[in-house]
Amino acid sequence: MNKLDVSQLVDNKTGRQNRTIFHNQDIYEQEQEQIFGRCWLFLAHDSQIPEPGDYFRTFMGEDEVLVIRQKDQTVKVFLNTCTHRGNRVCKSDKGNAKSFTCSYHGWSFSGDGTLSGVPLEEDAYYNELDKTKFGLIPVAQVDSYKGLIFGNFDPKAPSLEDYLGNMKWYLDIWLDAMPEGTELIGTSQKVEYPVNWKLPVENACGDGYHIGWAHAGVMSVATSINIESLSLGNTSVDSSTAMAGAGMNGHSIISSLDGQSGFAFYPEPSVPVAYLEENRDTVISRLGKLRGEKFWGSQINMTIFPNVQMLPGLNWFRVYHPKGPDKMEMWTWAMVDKEMSDELKQTVLDNVCRTFGAAGMFDNDDGENFTACTSLNRGWQTRQNNVYTNMAMGKEYAHPEMPGVVSDGLVGEQNQRYFYRRWQEVMMANDWSSMPTYSTFDEAKATEAN
Amino acid sequence: MTTSLPIQAPVNSDTYLAFQSLLFKEARLLDTEEYQQWLDMLTDDIHYYMPVPARYLREEKGTEKTLEANVFNDYKPQLALRVSRFATSLVWSENPQNLIRHSVSNIEVFPTDTDGEWQVLSLVTVSRNRLDGDERRMLVSRTDTWRIEGDQVKLAKRHMLFNHTVVPDSNLNFFF
Repeated sequence: MNKLDVSQLVDNKTGRQNRTIFHNQDIYEQEQEQIFGRCWLFLAHDSQIPEPGDYFRTFMGEDEVLVIRQKDQTVKVFLNTCTHRGNRVCKSDKGNAKSFTCSYHGWSFSGDGTLSGVPLEEDAYYNELDKTKFGLIPVAQVDSYKGLIFGNFDPKAPSLEDYLGNMKWYLDIWLDAMPEGTELIGTSQKVEYPVNWKLPVENACGDGYHIGWAHAGVMSVATSINIESLSLGNTSVDSSTAMAGAGMNGHSIISSLDGQSGFAFYPEPSVPVAYLEENRDTVISRLGKLRGEKFWGSQINMTIFPNVQMLPGLNWFRVYHPKGPDKMEMWTWAMVDKEMSDELKQTVLDNVCRTFGAAGMFDNDDGENFTACTSLNRGWQTRQNNVYTNMAMGKEYAHPEMPGVVSDGLVGEQNQRYFYRRWQEVMMANDWSSMPTYSTFDEAKATEAN
Repeated sequence: MTTSLPIQAPVNSDTYLAFQSLLFKEARLLDTEEYQQWLDMLTDDIHYYMPVPARYLREEKGTEKTLEANVFNDYKPQLALRVSRFATSLVWSENPQNLIRHSVSNIEVFPTDTDGEWQVLSLVTVSRNRLDGDERRMLVSRTDTWRIEGDQVKLAKRHMLFNHTVVPDSNLNFFF
């Protein structure tokens, strides 16, 4: 397929996106190939498949995959499809299995992907089937970073460590704050939205602007701790108490810097805040003063390009699976520190469900906005137009300690611009060797397209 | 000549009809967003619970090692918080008002070991008509405990099963 030219559809210099990128089927197919076919995609957390034989059924783009813990504790990932006639080999969300048997003709595959059983192999195939050529189709690269397992369809993609780059400095604020690390808890909460997958990613990667307005209802009844950098109704904003960081290969963060506001929306914030203060010295000794005092415990949104988001404090972890240009499925779990008490873990899970679950009082404000931002582009005239993320252009700077391109405040659109910049770069590059790579302010500026 | 049926009804028809009418009244209050009146139908220790469904092989059902996520795990303060959110008039997706109808069926009423408490099973189909004819239907089964309190019968527990492994709408700004 000849690539579509998307060079004019996104302009990072003016913060412009043409609306067709939220609608066009060909662009969507190109995203599947160029973005979901080449970027590192989140699969599961180590804690979801701890034992050999544990498996988890999920998606990489629209491709359905099986993530399987091996006997040697490594993880293998396969397309969840029989190599005979293409039926699904596993229909369960997760579980533990020695083998996977296709329900069509009974071909059976071991957990390492080997084709181990073929009914009537002798009588009907005359023992002429080379079973070694019909194992499950593996995903080219699988690796993990501090508990998070990722896969990549592209054998030539850079290592996961390099892919995450300087974002690791920020990710560690959650993944490596406590000695035991993190775990994902709770059944997968799946919600289907009639929404283009980029819109929720764009929103949670940097949009503090919408919080005081889109969520005004719940903000006015549920705020337990003051988040100085936000206000109800968007009447004022103090940008000195928060930061946004982007320009790290599409990954980004927004964060308050007060060390406790992540728990602002808990009915009893004193409980998680007490946990923070009990453990803050430990975290400072592991991550240093800046991350341990200012970041850890704050309201933070982290995004791993293209489709993973995690909000420590509110403690949700989410992946967006594209299901067509105007549909996506949102999968949410609670992520907790392993050291937390069972009681606190349950409290965190309940709060995740109440704020960002299917009936979550915050999430339930976002869907209809994203839906309209998607569906209105069915209008031919409408989608000839552009939309903009052009707030506070040119205010970004290089920070002596915080990696990437940094600007002040939760309310801004820097991160969204860098998200669409990365989208465009990955959509256009022929291969990884021609893809710009940047993880610092200077690199991000040097690689910027004219 | 009358033949008496060889069936023992769990409760007499007066009790059955009384609960049916109570469930219909509750459905009407939810349809018309009379949420304060609805809260008054709940005991102070109400537990309103709907776990997130998942698909496991039959032989592995119940072996789930993680905690159960939920759509609702609310007691009265959380339900009241949801109601106060609706009452702010700042929940933009509920303005204009969405047309919602709760249809209650498959009602079964059983006495319990506790005096003054009944177990009531039902299905509720919620049909919600939103912007430009956008319509969603959801089906939930409910296992209720209703309890006599003073001169009222109040809902003390509602444990629900959501018939959708993938939630088919971007918000659930209502109750089942």
